[in-house]
Amino acid sequence: MRGWRLAAAAAAVALAGCGEPPPTAPAAVRRVVSLAPSCTEIVWALGAGDRLVGVCAHCDHPPAVASLPRVGGYLAPSAEAVIGARPDVVFAVPSPGNHDAVRAVEAAGIRVVVVEEHTLDEVWAGMRAIAAALGLAAEGERLVARVQAELEAVRRRVAGRPVRRALLVVGHAPLVAAGPGTLQDELLRIAGGENVAAVTGALWPRLAVEMVVATAPDVIVDAAMGGERGDASVFASLTTVPAVRNGRIVPIAGGAFYRAGPRVGEAAAQLAAALHPETAPAAGAR
Amino acid sequence: MRRAAHLTRRRLAATLAVLGLGLALSVVGATLVGPAPASLARALAPGGAAGPDGIIIFRTRLPRVLLGAVVGASLATAGTALQGVLRNPLACPHVLGISGGAALAGVLAILAGASVASLAIPAAAFGGALGALALVWFGARAGGRTTPHAILLVGVVFNTFAAAMIMLVEALATYTQVRGVLFWIMGSLSTQSYGLVAAVAALALAGLGWLVRHAHDVNLLGVGDEDAYELGVDVEAVRRAVFVAASILVAAAVSVSGMIGFVGLIVPHLLRLLLGPDHRLLLPASFVGGATFLVWCDALARTALGAAEVPVGVVTALAGAPFFLVLLRRSLRRAAA
Amino acid sequence: MTARLVAGGVTFGWGARLVLRDVALALAPGELVGVIGPNGSGKTTLVRLLAGVLRPAAGTVRLDGRPLAAWPRRELARRIAVVSQDPTVTFPFTALETVLMGRAPHLPALAFPRAADLARARAAMARVDVADLEARPLDRLSGGERQRVFLARALAQEPAVLLLDEPTTHLDLRHQAGIYDVVADLCRREGVASLSVLHDLNLAAMYCDRLVLLAGGRIAAEGPPAAVLERARLAAAYGADVHVGVNDLTGGPLVLPRPRPG
Repeated sequence: MRGWRLAAAAAAVALAGCGEPPPTAPAAVRRVVSLAPSCTEIVWALGAGDRLVGVCAHCDHPPAVASLPRVGGYLAPSAEAVIGARPDVVFAVPSPGNHDAVRAVEAAGIRVVVVEEHTLDEVWAGMRAIAAALGLAAEGERLVARVQAELEAVRRRVAGRPVRRALLVVGHAPLVAAGPGTLQDELLRIAGGENVAAVTGALWPRLAVEMVVATAPDVIVDAAMGGERGDASVFASLTTVPAVRNGRIVPIAGGAFYRAGPRVGEAAAQLAAALHPETAPAAGAR
Repeated sequence: MRRAAHLTRRRLAATLAVLGLGLALSVVGATLVGPAPASLARALAPGGAAGPDGIIIFRTRLPRVLLGAVVGASLATAGTALQGVLRNPLACPHVLGISGGAALAGVLAILAGASVASLAIPAAAFGGALGALALVWFGARAGGRTTPHAILLVGVVFNTFAAAMIMLVEALATYTQVRGVLFWIMGSLSTQSYGLVAAVAALALAGLGWLVRHAHDVNLLGVGDEDAYELGVDVEAVRRAVFVAASILVAAAVSVSGMIGFVGLIVPHLLRLLLGPDHRLLLPASFVGGATFLVWCDALARTALGAAEVPVGVVTALAGAPFFLVLLRRSLRRAAA
Repeated sequence: MTARLVAGGVTFGWGARLVLRDVALALAPGELVGVIGPNGSGKTTLVRLLAGVLRPAAGTVRLDGRPLAAWPRRELARRIAVVSQDPTVTFPFTALETVLMGRAPHLPALAFPRAADLARARAAMARVDVADLEARPLDRLSGGERQRVFLARALAQEPAVLLLDEPTTHLDLRHQAGIYDVVADLCRREGVASLSVLHDLNLAAMYCDRLVLLAGGRIAAEGPPAAVLERARLAAAYGADVHVGVNDLTGGPLVLPRPRPG
């Protein structure tokens, strides 16, 4: 009996000692680098924006971050620039190109907190992890609660409405949609919509235009970026599609829609307004 | 395969008739398949053209199938012409830098903010192709002559340069612009515009006509520049005319559909094996054969994975690479024998 | 008989290196002229200049009085045919297709042969003994068969002037003489003016009416074989000692290399 307790105590001590390096004392985290736009927004929403000493090139929200030094792109951050900024902690999201940079930063002895962003649960976990790293656990909980409340408000607004079949378009040429398993799909369902691209089973399916005719969505949410923004000509001749016939091709500003951060509530509200325009609050109210 | 000792008008007409029939059947067949269910009967019924079947078949599928046909025709014919006039069975439209120039120009247009719906990108790509053609031609020119050897070398160098520039642009582009760039690299035949198809078809037919006029001269070039000269061919002029016509064909194809590879390499080879090296037959046969090949590759691209589609360049590469390896091994074995 | 092809004061070089200096030559109808000389003496270059493929740095080559440069390409191809040493074979055209290419200068753009063209091509092939190889692709022919096919192509061109650059390198004994029998026949019966580069001095002696000995880019000797094939002259040109005897068959000269004593 005593041996068992000794062993358990030893194991507990051993476990406490390995794994992540011990978190720096919260008060000591003064310099923060963010390698993803969503992380930047979370840091700012936690009220710790003044601790940011470096952000990735694509970080553009809120506008105040425009003056912060850049440490490379979201796809390819510069390990040198990150290390040179002497951060106490680095926040990153796994991207196709940043594995090497992240490893190099860790090798330099800097703590990197990696957050995932594929589902809402991961978003909450990410917010909490970033808050904990900054010593702002309480603010973290408040942020999570606020955003969850926003989503709840959207749910209530569309409750009882008939579910609208929708296509979430991410690009026109080639035609790519947000598929089941993406964060955007989750937001769509909260906003009272059914993703017609679910039939493909792929995360970001490339669709033949005829699939739009076959699935006949009621609403097309057009989140295309760059030169394709606002140009719905690819759907123009598909007159049997309810979304086209009734003029329900709704452009959505890309920013909030693609950020797995504090603005997901805003994105869900935009989707709800697109799917159920009759429930949108009067202009000015929020 | 034993074939006739020489080409007669009758054999030419008969072969093209058979190939043409094959193309017609392929176009119809490809229009009937797709990830979405659509009934031709319902589409053809009175008022059917405005219904979902009609829209799927006549507004989304048929223009795309036809574009595949003219793009495939252009690429294959250009490949045949280039292989003939450069005396190299490995020459293909993409290796000479013409499509690299088109792709680079298209990418730069996307970065400058050109809208995908406008004609700005195809126009830029067309210009880029012609620019590349001029650079390669004059780069290879020495002492008033442009030899096939020089063209191939300069073309490969230019193509590598264009590819590197495209990668640089990709690295510098914002996340949203990279998507447009990828379109060029992977290729796409998706279109709803019959007007676009007609424009490319007009260029393709003009290019074919110009090439066929020189078809016998290309045959003569196959025996060597000097021998051709001694048989009365103006070697410089023919090579220039063929190069320009082939480049226009490639430019037309790449500017509307991106880089679709292997069509310009495989179809000429396969047809040369089956029909012999006489370009009077091989050029028009490549036109029809290339069209058929790409129509089927695109049909496969649209249907292979169910609802999501595969880029057509992937299908041509998957069909093309192993096929090309088989061809290569056959000719290596023959050379060793 | 006035000469059809006349070269006067022809000089040619690559950059600073002169390959031919001040060469003068005249080819009359019905005669078979042989060009001999050591390697590097400019024999192939001479053929290419006479064919109009190369342009002389100085001097002119005239056909029927007109400089070659003034003739349209196709017209020239109807009158001058060349059989070069090692033609490129990239694509597997059949023997008949290759010979039919010789009819191209006489045919319009797409060059579909008429019955008469086919007949001429087949006759040319029969003359050089490749008639049964009609449908065989070039890459399936032996070196010698290919050489004969290319000669047939030149014959199908129905030229007034025939230029040959070592047409018998790959040919076996039977066909070597056969080729020159054909060429000699062409000269005598059809009045073609022929010039051939040869390595085999005895073949040259047997068939050629006239020999031209090229050495160091200049004409070292010109005249009937008996006059040109002379020990001292050949030794000077080739840098090798020879023995010149009598050819039992023809009564003409017979040249043998003289082995070094000891």
